[in-house]
Amino acid sequence: MEYLSLFVKSIFVDNMIFAYFLGMCSFLAVSKNVKTAAGLGVAVIFVLLVTLPINYLLNRFVLSPGALQWLSPSLADVDLSFLSFIIFIAVIAAIVQIVEMVVEKYSPSLYSSLGIFLPLIAVNCAILGGSLFMQQKDFVNLGEATVYALGSGIGWFLAIVSLAAIREKMAYSNVPKALKGLGITFITVGLMGIAFMTFMGISL
Amino acid sequence: MNTNNNLYTVIYTTLIVVVVAALLAFVSQSLKAKQDANEKADTISQMLTASGFGTKAEFQKMGNAAVLARYAEEIGKAYTVNVSGEKVTDLPLDVVYSPKELKRQNYNIKGGSNKTGEPELPVFEFKNGITVVPVYGAGLWGPVWGYIAFEKPVDGSIAIKGAYFDHESETAGLGARIKDDPAFQAEFVGEKPDFNSESIFEIVKGGSPKNADGSEVTDNKIDAISGATMTSNGLADAINTWLGAYVSHFKACSAQTEVPAEEPKGEEE
Amino acid sequence: MNAKLKETILNPIFKGNPITVLVLGICSSLAVTVTMKGALVMALSVIVVCGISSLILSLLRNTIPGRVRIIVQLVVVAMMVILVDQILKSFEATYAIDKQLSVYIGLIITNCIVMGRIEAFALGNKPWPSFLDGVANGAGYGMILLIVAFFRELLGSGTLFGVDILNRLGYVPNNLVILPPFALILIGCIVWVQRSIQKDLQEK
Repeated sequence: MEYLSLFVKSIFVDNMIFAYFLGMCSFLAVSKNVKTAAGLGVAVIFVLLVTLPINYLLNRFVLSPGALQWLSPSLADVDLSFLSFIIFIAVIAAIVQIVEMVVEKYSPSLYSSLGIFLPLIAVNCAILGGSLFMQQKDFVNLGEATVYALGSGIGWFLAIVSLAAIREKMAYSNVPKALKGLGITFITVGLMGIAFMTFMGISL
Repeated sequence: MNTNNNLYTVIYTTLIVVVVAALLAFVSQSLKAKQDANEKADTISQMLTASGFGTKAEFQKMGNAAVLARYAEEIGKAYTVNVSGEKVTDLPLDVVYSPKELKRQNYNIKGGSNKTGEPELPVFEFKNGITVVPVYGAGLWGPVWGYIAFEKPVDGSIAIKGAYFDHESETAGLGARIKDDPAFQAEFVGEKPDFNSESIFEIVKGGSPKNADGSEVTDNKIDAISGATMTSNGLADAINTWLGAYVSHFKACSAQTEVPAEEPKGEEE
Repeated sequence: MNAKLKETILNPIFKGNPITVLVLGICSSLAVTVTMKGALVMALSVIVVCGISSLILSLLRNTIPGRVRIIVQLVVVAMMVILVDQILKSFEATYAIDKQLSVYIGLIITNCIVMGRIEAFALGNKPWPSFLDGVANGAGYGMILLIVAFFRELLGSGTLFGVDILNRLGYVPNNLVILPPFALILIGCIVWVQRSIQKDLQEK
């Protein structure tokens, strides 16, 4: 039950895009059509799902103050938390690099439509944000961290797919010339964000 | 040069990671003493600010040495208590609890897998009778913490003398107002946490409901920061968790004042 | 200074602005534009970090193995930011400044502009133009940040740099302006204005 509420909460209430406004750059740039958007969404889910548990274990057993105690009691005072940023980022970058190589090999068309935004998943704030929130939330076990990763990833996926769907429809509407494309997308996301705020009051 | 060679890639990556880690570890180790000294002076100036000895800006101008000297002048006694309100140990007068130490105690209060022992909660008493206790918790992006100063208990209730809050990475202009906005911190002055109820202190939209004459119905509610619901909730949670752990201590303190020998002081406000 | 260098510097300010044209660095532009002061601090930090990390990675560009370039880029950027943070933290005079800055450290490391420019420019160009490109992109980013912050602080708090402007005239601050969705709508309007002036950027 706790897992379920954490899962639902991380999709809707703590939505990475609409509650925290993280991972906006690729969200805005790669939402022109549903297919590409879904591809990037899946990549984000995957990267979150892999990096967050790894970072959880690193944080639990290496980085947090006194975490090295399991190696030897004399290490109880060691505090490596100043390294957490760089380690998290390195793990994320490594996973993204692997994803990039896999996508390039098996789906060249997706690779070319994602362009620079594939390597930029590494600096997609939603991913690092996920790891930092994990550090913040003090999950008690690996299961919670994984559920949280899955939920946040799916939340991001849903957000980008729904925006892409709106943009596909919007191609038929009569938007002022200069506002077409990027401009109206910004405004749409703003309005979607306001709508999503209704979830904020829900406590699970 | 063929940079796509496997061996080269592995060596290059290892080298970069080792160099960077070594550099960071070296810098962090060699600067640690200085950073800790700065942090300590900062913590002390926050406690002094909460207790109304001056403003944060004034202490910042004074410099570290002067802040430490001022603290040494004012501090009466410092000790730790457990959740039952019993004194555990006396603290040396020049010891304060850094946010890192507060974090450890926060785990101990909340329990769970990060617990390292029974909570030892610090209490700092100034010579003029003001008592300062810390609070610590999670805001929106990172930890929030702070110091709440209490007046001497009067008629079994304890009023807040002042408060100062700090944070690691709340949004500038929104959540960061817990630290930057003196008006928010001033709201705490004169409030009386309700140590007999579940919610000791509340930070809610609109603050306390008002009576017909404009006075507040309850003394333990203040207005939240608009646009920073998560930070406000996090701070309220931190305050309730920590003051909750101090309940027995404060109850014991306020019980003491009912002994007639103690001179009751005038009501605040 | 030859024409190409001049183009490198001037392009990011308007025609190729990182936020409104390249869609990079959106997350931080939502987070730090509530006050002018926050926007200014962030703008200056990004100019410095973007310039210097472009310079360093341009120097290293011929030695970085293609398959791990993301890791190397991020590690170098993160290291630099953390080093500066650590050094500022250890001097009495700069400790207060660092406390202001520490809020932004995560946002600077994950700022897509830094990595986007390294990926798109510094890895293919000589150090000096790369440095200029980094600085210019930081400046273009900072400019949008300040414009957005100007409206948000003025309308959301009635102040500018913390100095009361509108409140004394009886203005009631609008809380919607403080929320992130409004920043999105505002950036959308800036894009609109820019594309009305510069017609070749308009999308079909």
